[in-house]
Amino acid sequence: MIRNYFKIAWRNLVKHKVFSLINVIGLTIGLSASFVIGLMIYYDATFDTFHKDGDRIYRVVSDFYSPEGTFHNSGVTVALEDAIQDNSNFEAVTGFYIERPNVVENREADINVKWPKNVVFTDEDYFDIFQYNFLAGNKETALSNPNNVILTESRAAQYFPKLSPDAVVGKILVYNDSLNVKVTGIVENFKERTDVIFEEFISAPTLLNTRLRNDFITKNWNSTNSSSQLFVKVNSTANFENIQEEFDALATKHLDEYSRNHGQSRKFKLQPLSDIHFNEDYGIYDWDQGQASKSLLTNLGLIAIFLLVLGCINFINLNTAQASQRAKEIGIRKTLGSSRKQLISQFMGETFLLVLFSALLSLVLSNYLIKAFSDFVPKDLDINLFMSPLIIVSLIVLLLIVTFLSGFYPALILSKFNTVSVLKNHLAVGQNKVKLRKFLTVFQFTIAQVFIIATLLVGRQINFLLSKDMGFKTEAVVTVYSPRGERGLEKKERFLQKLKTIPQIKQLSLGGAPPASFSSNTSTTTYNNGEKEIQSDLQFVFGDTNYATLYELELLSGRTHLNDTIKELVINEAARKIYGFKTPEEAIGKAIDFGDYKVPIVGVMANFHQRSLKTEIKPMALRGDWDRGQFSRFWAAHIAFQNTNADNLKASLSKIESAYGEVYTEIEDYRMDFMDETIARFYNREKKVSKLLNWATGLSILISCLGLLGLVIYTTNRRVKEIGVRKVLGASLFEINTLLSKEFLVLVGIAFIIASPLAWYGINNWLQNFTYKTSMSFWVFIVSGVAMIFFALLVISIKTLQAANTNPVNSLRSE
Amino acid sequence: MLLELNNASRIIKSGGKKITLLDDINLTVEEGEFISLMGPSGSGKSTLLNCIGMLDNFTEGNYQFLDELVEQMKEKQRAKLYKEYIGFVFQAYHLIDELTVYENIETPLLYKSIKSSERKALVGDILDRFNIVGKKDLFPTQLSGGQQQLVGIARALIGKPKLILADEPTGNLNSKQSEEIMQLFSTLNKEGVTIIQATHSETNASYGSRIINLLDGSIVTD
Repeated sequence: MIRNYFKIAWRNLVKHKVFSLINVIGLTIGLSASFVIGLMIYYDATFDTFHKDGDRIYRVVSDFYSPEGTFHNSGVTVALEDAIQDNSNFEAVTGFYIERPNVVENREADINVKWPKNVVFTDEDYFDIFQYNFLAGNKETALSNPNNVILTESRAAQYFPKLSPDAVVGKILVYNDSLNVKVTGIVENFKERTDVIFEEFISAPTLLNTRLRNDFITKNWNSTNSSSQLFVKVNSTANFENIQEEFDALATKHLDEYSRNHGQSRKFKLQPLSDIHFNEDYGIYDWDQGQASKSLLTNLGLIAIFLLVLGCINFINLNTAQASQRAKEIGIRKTLGSSRKQLISQFMGETFLLVLFSALLSLVLSNYLIKAFSDFVPKDLDINLFMSPLIIVSLIVLLLIVTFLSGFYPALILSKFNTVSVLKNHLAVGQNKVKLRKFLTVFQFTIAQVFIIATLLVGRQINFLLSKDMGFKTEAVVTVYSPRGERGLEKKERFLQKLKTIPQIKQLSLGGAPPASFSSNTSTTTYNNGEKEIQSDLQFVFGDTNYATLYELELLSGRTHLNDTIKELVINEAARKIYGFKTPEEAIGKAIDFGDYKVPIVGVMANFHQRSLKTEIKPMALRGDWDRGQFSRFWAAHIAFQNTNADNLKASLSKIESAYGEVYTEIEDYRMDFMDETIARFYNREKKVSKLLNWATGLSILISCLGLLGLVIYTTNRRVKEIGVRKVLGASLFEINTLLSKEFLVLVGIAFIIASPLAWYGINNWLQNFTYKTSMSFWVFIVSGVAMIFFALLVISIKTLQAANTNPVNSLRSE
Repeated sequence: MLLELNNASRIIKSGGKKITLLDDINLTVEEGEFISLMGPSGSGKSTLLNCIGMLDNFTEGNYQFLDELVEQMKEKQRAKLYKEYIGFVFQAYHLIDELTVYENIETPLLYKSIKSSERKALVGDILDRFNIVGKKDLFPTQLSGGQQQLVGIARALIGKPKLILADEPTGNLNSKQSEEIMQLFSTLNKEGVTIIQATHSETNASYGSRIINLLDGSIVTD
C-alpha cells in the first residue's frame, strides 16, 4: 500500500513538473533558512551547558547608577572577594584577574609569544567551580605558591611544542622579560562550546610581583576594573534574597563621599552562567567573537518562520487549485473501496515525500548558506552539528510539522469530493476554496511587501548615516596607532619625523583617538558662574596643535591650545550650552574646574559627531597632553594625504608601514585605520540588518511570485475556452491580458494596503534607535508598491500572454 | 435474495425546488440474475445504480442488502459491505491514469488489505484470463477503448464480488468491442455473478435475463 502511494506520488510529481518545482523551491528556501537559523540558535543556546552544577554558578557584576544613567561593568572591585568569602550561601568563591602579558618566553627553546590572550591570575578555587580535567599536576597545590602557572593543553603546545604534559610540568616561563614562573599543571581544554576561554592560570600571589601589586595590597573599594572578575557557586539551598541583601549592605557601606553627594550608587548582582553568552550589558571574554544577540536570533527565527510559512502557503494554494485534476483519481479510489482516512493519508504521504525531498536539498544548500552568511554565523559552527541527537529529533519534528501545515488542508479538500459528481464530471470546486486561496495569496504578498518597504527604508537610513557630514574631515585621513606597550613619547615623535619625509602626506598630527571613535575618555567637571555650580561630564579628544587643522575642525571663536602640555581647553558648542555661555565669545577665558585644578577655555569649536549618529553630540573638549608626566595620552599618528589617488595611496601606505618598522620593533602590532572605514564600522550592525533584509526580501518575493505563477497557470488553463471565445469575438491581446491579470493585481494591491502601515510601524520603531534619522518619505512606499506590482505583472504575463496568443481554433476544437 | 428495495425514492433539493430522481421503487434482485435497466436519458438509471452501489443514498424507503438494512448501517460497515460484494464498471472506464494496468487492477485488493503474495497471484490469474498479460505494464492512455474497458471489468472482478454494477459499459465502444464485452458479462453471469447494467441498446439488453424499463424515476415495466 505504502509503496503504491509513493509510486503515485512520484508519478504525480513528475507529471506536474512546474507545480512540483514551485513547491520544492518554496519549501527548500523555507527549510534551508530554518536549518541554518535553527543551527545558529542551537549553537548559541548550548554554550556552557556542560559544567557540573552549571545552574549554580554565577558571575558577580557591578551596576553603577548616577543621574546620567546606568552603567554596567562585568567586573567587581578586587575588595569584594574577601568580603563575601565567609557567606554560607556560597559553596565556592573565586576571583580572577585578566591581564595580557607583553611577552611570554620559553628561553630554553627560544620561543617567545607576544600579547598572549586569555591569561588570568587566580587560585585553586577556580578549579572547584569550573571542573577541568588535569593531565598533569595537582589541582590542590598547583596554584598555592607565587610564580606558578597552569596551562591548558593547547597553550602548552604553543610554548612547549612536542612535549608531553608531564614533561612540561616543572619548566620555566618568563613573563614580561623578568618574571620567572614555573609550570605546575596542565589541564585539558574544554571540548564543548564555552565562553570560559582562559588558557593560562597564574597563581594569584604572583600578582604582588607585577605592576598590579599596589591594587592588590590596598584593595580599594572604589575602583572597579572589568579585568577583575568574580565567580561564585551557590549552595543548592542558597537564599538569593539574603545574598542580595549582603551585596547591597556592602555597597552602601563602602559608598564614598563624592558618590553620595552626587547621587551615585552601585549594586552588585549575580549573573547566571547561562546569561553570560547573551547579555550584552556585561559582555563575554572573547571580543573577537561577536556577542550572541537574543534579538538578532529572534529576528532570524521570525524570518525563517515567515519563509517557511510562505513555502507552505504555496503548497496549499497550488494543491487546492489543482484539486480538480486529481478529482477523478479520488472518485475512482472511493468506488474501489478507499476510505476517506486512507485518502488523507495518501495525500499526506505525497506531501511528506515532497517535504523530504526539499529537506535533502536544503541540507546540501545549508552548507553553502553557512558560508554565504558568515557575517551572522559564528565562526566554528559547522554542518556537523546536524549529527547531534537533539537537532536530528527537532529536524524530524520540523518536517512533520511542515508536512502537516502544507498537506493537511489540501488532503481534507481532496478527500471530500463527492464520488458520483466527480465521476460524472459535474465537478464544482466550491467558490469558498477560491476565497481561501485569495486570502493566502494576499497574506504572502503582504509579507513580501513589508520586506520590500523595510529594505528600502533601512537602506535609506544607512545611506543617510554614512553620507551625513560628521563635522570634520573624514576623507583621505588615516590613523596609525603606536604599539600597545609603548609608553614613552620619544619613539612616537621619531615616527612622526620619519613620516614628514613622505611627500604625499599633507599634514601630520600626534594625538589620541580620532575625533570619532569607539573609545572615549570622560571626566566630570564643574563650572561656577558666580551664581551656581554647573556640573557636567566632559569628553576629550587629545591632540597636538595640528590636530584641529588636520581634521578641519571649525573654530567658532578663540584659538586652539598653544602647545602640547599647556592646560587649555577648546570646547564644543554642546559644552558651551551646558555650561551656560550665551555666545562662543563669552566662553573664552572662563575656567572649568577639574576637581584638583582649573583649566581655562581658549576656544570654542563647532559640534561634530564623536560617535555614531545613534547618539547625541555630547559636551566635549579638545585638549593637549598635560598629564604627560605620569603617562602620555598621545598614542596615535594622524595622517592626512594630499589626494586620494589609489596608486598614490597604496605607495604612501607602504611607506608609512616601513617607517613604522624602522622605529618600532613590534611590527606585528601595526594597526592602521581609515577614518571613513571607522565611521562605516559604527554601522556594522545596521549593515547586517540590511543584508538580512535584502535576502529576506528577495526570497519572499521569489516564493510569492512563484506561488502566484502557479495560480495563474492554473486559472489560465481553466479559462482557455473563454479566452478562445473572446478572441473569436474580437478581443485584442492586451484586453485579454488585462482581463486575466486584473484579478491577481487586485490581490497584490490589497496586500500593499495591509503591508504599508505594518512596515511603517516596524521601521518607525527601529528608527527610534537613532538620534539622527531620515524622514520616512511616502515615495518609498509608492516605489515599493509599484515594484511589487511590476514583479507580479511580470510573472503573470509570462503565462497570460502565452494563453492569449494561442490560436482559438486549438482551444475550441477539443470540445 | 441478494437485495431488495421497498418504496425507495431519492429526492434532492436544487435551487429551492424538490426534484424527484427516483420515485417509489420496489425491486427484488436474486443471486445469479442479469438485469438490464433501460430508459431514456434522465430516467434515473444511473442514479438507481449509484444508490444500489451505495455511492448515493435513497432519501426514503428501505434498502436491504443480504438481509441487512443499508440505511441503518454505519459508514464503516457500509464501506466494508461494498468493498466485499460490489464491483463497478463505468462507461468512461475510469482507470487511474497514473497507474499501470497491473496497478489499476491491484488497487481494490490494497484497500481490502490482502497480502502481497496473494495479490500477485490474483492479479496474475485475472490478467491471464482476460488475455492482457502483455499489457500489464502499460498505462491506460496507451490502450484502446475496448482494452481499457476490459481492464475496468478485470478491476471490478478482482475482489470476487457477488454483484457487478455496470453503467453503460459499452457506451464508448464500437459494435465489435461491445459484443466482446457483453459476451464476457454473460460468461461471468453463468459463473454465478449477479449483474445489473444500465444501457440504451436493445441488443445489449437482450443478453440479460430480465429487463426493467425506467421513466422519470419510476419503474414502468419489469
